[in-house]
Amino acid sequence: MIVTTLKPLDEVLGFILPYSDILVVGCDGCNQPPRGLREASTLGQLLDLAGKPRGKVFNFKITTVGKQCDDYMAASVLKPQTGNAEAVLSLACGLGVQTLAKIFPELPVFPVQNTHFMGAEDRDDGILEMRCVGCGDCLLAVTGGICPLACCPKGLLNGACGGAKDDKCELSPEKDCAWVLIYNSLKRQGKLDLLKGYRPPRDYQLTGWKITA
Amino acid sequence: MSELVPQEDLTLVEEVICGAGGKVYLAPCQIACPLGEDIQRSHAMLALLPLDPEEADRQIIRIGDEIYEKNPLFPVCSYICGICERRCNYKDETGAVRRRMLVRLVADRYIRYLETAPTLPTPDKGKVAVIGSGPGGLMCAYELSKRGYRVTILERSHELGGALRLIPRYRLPGDIVDSVINSLLRIAHIEVRLGAEIGGVGKKIDDLKKEGYQAVFLATGTPVSRPLTINGKPVDNVNLEGVTLGLNLLYEVNQGISSPGLYRDKKVIVVGGGNVAFDVARTARRLGGEVTLVCLENENRSSRDGIPADGEEVEGAAQEGIRIVYSRGVAEVIGESGKFKKIKCPRCTSVFDENGGFSPRFNHDDVVYLEGDVLLVTIGQGRDRAIYEQEGLLGKSRKLDVDEITLMSNLKEGVFIGGDVKRVGFAAEAMRDGLNAAESIDRYIRGEDLRTGRKKEYQDAPVLSNAYYKSQPPLIWVPAEERLNFEPFEKPFTLEQVVEEARRCLCCGPCKSCKGCVAAGLQPVVSGIEYDEESCINCGDCAFYCPCDAISFKIPHGVSFDMTLCRGCGLCAAVCPAMAIELESWERERISGSITEAVSDMKRPGILVFLCQWTVLPPLDKKTNPNAGVIDVPCAARVESIHILEALQQGVGGVLIVACPEEDCHRQTGSREVQRSIAALEKRLSQIGIQDRVSFCTVTPRHQEEFERELERFSRKIESIGSKESK
Ligand SMILES: Cc1cc2nc3c(=O)[nH]c(=O)nc-3n(C[C@H](O)[C@H](O)[C@H](O)COP(=O)(O)OP(=O)(O)OC[C@H]3O[C@@H](n4cnc5c(N)ncnc54)[C@H](O)[C@@H]3O)c2cc1C
Ligand code: SF4
Ligand code: SF4
Repeated sequence: MIVTTLKPLDEVLGFILPYSDILVVGCDGCNQPPRGLREASTLGQLLDLAGKPRGKVFNFKITTVGKQCDDYMAASVLKPQTGNAEAVLSLACGLGVQTLAKIFPELPVFPVQNTHFMGAEDRDDGILEMRCVGCGDCLLAVTGGICPLACCPKGLLNGACGGAKDDKCELSPEKDCAWVLIYNSLKRQGKLDLLKGYRPPRDYQLTGWKITA
Repeated sequence: MSELVPQEDLTLVEEVICGAGGKVYLAPCQIACPLGEDIQRSHAMLALLPLDPEEADRQIIRIGDEIYEKNPLFPVCSYICGICERRCNYKDETGAVRRRMLVRLVADRYIRYLETAPTLPTPDKGKVAVIGSGPGGLMCAYELSKRGYRVTILERSHELGGALRLIPRYRLPGDIVDSVINSLLRIAHIEVRLGAEIGGVGKKIDDLKKEGYQAVFLATGTPVSRPLTINGKPVDNVNLEGVTLGLNLLYEVNQGISSPGLYRDKKVIVVGGGNVAFDVARTARRLGGEVTLVCLENENRSSRDGIPADGEEVEGAAQEGIRIVYSRGVAEVIGESGKFKKIKCPRCTSVFDENGGFSPRFNHDDVVYLEGDVLLVTIGQGRDRAIYEQEGLLGKSRKLDVDEITLMSNLKEGVFIGGDVKRVGFAAEAMRDGLNAAESIDRYIRGEDLRTGRKKEYQDAPVLSNAYYKSQPPLIWVPAEERLNFEPFEKPFTLEQVVEEARRCLCCGPCKSCKGCVAAGLQPVVSGIEYDEESCINCGDCAFYCPCDAISFKIPHGVSFDMTLCRGCGLCAAVCPAMAIELESWERERISGSITEAVSDMKRPGILVFLCQWTVLPPLDKKTNPNAGVIDVPCAARVESIHILEALQQGVGGVLIVACPEEDCHRQTGSREVQRSIAALEKRLSQIGIQDRVSFCTVTPRHQEEFERELERFSRKIESIGSKESK
């Protein structure tokens, strides 16, 4: 999922101060933590409380979309609800914000969040961690289900650098060495011979920037 | 807190059937209780006793009424039973919930009320004879009378109660037994004939039938003491002066026949390792004897050959200076000029054989002699076979031939047999037989099938892994030196201790088979969950946070709720990002309505309090707190940011969320989770400078002064913010 964090409220307040009628749009998609209807309502309430002392009264319309980054879905759900909105607050990642900007070319669309990375969730530890860089050439079949590009700070493709200490990364000792993890995983699966193969350097062109759906 | 719900409005517990197996899902304690007392329910009601003493008393009587419904001898059980505690899910953590002590408090108050409690309607159906007035007979008589039958108890002895009358008074006071039995006879219009032996020279069952009794329940117990044997042969010399049966001693002491200093300066040897042997040993000790107890079993109670008596008995006896000699049998009783002198005790190498059969083995090369003046033999009891033989009730190999489910004799119609005579056990087990026999007799007289739908299968509710386990309160005994008399030495719990201990109960069973909180007036119904699958975004937060594992994922989309596990905390409703979940009675809109109402009713700067109901605080006094309003929630976990912000938007000065301390949270993680979500909210509020208007605190349940202190402190804080802002 796409990992996001909320911007400070005063920054968001700054965006919308010039306007009064505002459409607040949650996203029920892959955003993590989820920013659906509840977050949209709460945001409206908080901004209302923040505006009052400045004599500012907002009129929020609260709604949410299954996936803000799907222009068809977003437009179908939101267009009928726009009313006389003067601005839009998007609780999606950067993709959702841009999609809304596209479907509402006349309206300013503001991000409520900062977008970080594609992350996986560890619920018990309450952690969201980058696990995939979107290289366009997935290696996980031969690396025991662990991505060295995302998990090894050096992005090494052919085994450990040799600097790991106590199985921890020499660059960030709080992190497990990705190649130790890969080794252990392959060992558990009895596939250590996979490590013998040579993996050519990453082809950055494969990441791409556009594909035809 | 809302008003007590009038009794007739209370829908009692429902049977919650689990899955396709059709098994009844219950807390393990309730399954263990031979009478199926609604244990969890009464614990919840005790945990929620109101602070007002009069109101609490009324509630206690009501709890008593409910227990009495299922167990009319419960005051007795509150002294001598503890079967449920053996199965309590808390047992292996920090020790079982002390149900017996909880019920004791109820019993001690209820027993007085019972003396004047209203009677059952006068029975007018057919006549039934109950032979024997032990717990089994009494229970059967009570239940039959409840069903409208005219019951006569025929008892051989000159008093009622059966083996209860043998239990030493320091464990079970005689006046408790008297009072409970007298009330029972009065309430249930039971006729009694004392000194009425059946069999032998007395009447026969056929005579009773001629007198118009339509059915007979035989619960004659096990009055015959088992004789000493070695290798299957009787031990000689048991007729020496000084050799007695332990049961005789118990009888004589309770009847006041034996003198208080009977064993002063005497060495007493008790043979046997069961609870009854310990009763005998501790009784002998109280009569001044220097007591040694010899038993076949070893000290390690968890091993196959471990001593069968309860740990508390062994511990208590040791404190009282009773010496216990483990792993020894009695091969020979030796006398001198007609008087008992000593016993020869070979080492017992094993008690049970591979199949669990009783067949002690000895090493006769390892022998000790124990000398004494008195030998008390207490190695078990058996039934009096004569009547059963006479009445033709013994089948193959001279065993009672009784149907296990209906308890009717397979050899004689209309004759039912149960209690210790059928299988030696605890009092409550004999009562269960009495209850089952009553059901059978009712069906028999009405000409219905005796067996259909009788056998219910139960399944333990799964063990919730609690976040905190509070320690078990110790039993308080009068010190050994001071208790060598026949006064009860176990101190009852105070009301506060009872409430505290009841709160330890994990409420393992489904809410619907408990409804204790409903009975206590906390909420109108056991809350259901309303889940809107269409709004669900499949994020899994509800399932992750539910403290009761009540939520699981559906394939391919959505979640499902197992209401046998749900404890109605409302955490799922509070966390769901899509607001797709509602908790019945605490729906989002309803809470909003309460907020508006409370806000309109308070002086400014108002304080809105969200209060967990399990803190059991009395309603807020509006006169002394005109600027505060309280909204009760089933658990602080139900509180969500939306409602806190709503109150602030409506202009209240501050919002205070009050939960029970984490270790005291009835919903396990409720208190912790609400703290987490409030901390997150405060962080956001700090970005607009109003974080001080929201505060969280915990209050020890029932501690009103703590709550008032917190409210006072918060009010002052809000006032000071107000005056700063107006400057
Ligand atoms: C010393 C001692 C301590 C105990 N401690 C505990 C304890 O702590 N907890 C616990 O749960 N249980 C305890 N028990 C066991 C419990 O008392 C019995 O399980 C229970 O009393 C059995 O009930 P019952 O109705 O089957 O028979 P009993 O209680 O034995 O009653 C049988 C009755 O039938 C009468 N009777 C017998 N034959 C005839 C006849 N032919 N005609 C008419 N009447 C007859 C007897 O006089 C007696 O009153 C103890 C037992 C003893 C002896
Ligand atoms: S915790 Fe309560 S409900 Fe659970 S087994 Fe123990 S007494 Fe019964
Ligand atoms: S109300 Fe509480 S216990 Fe019930 S399903 Fe929701 S979170 Fe679980």
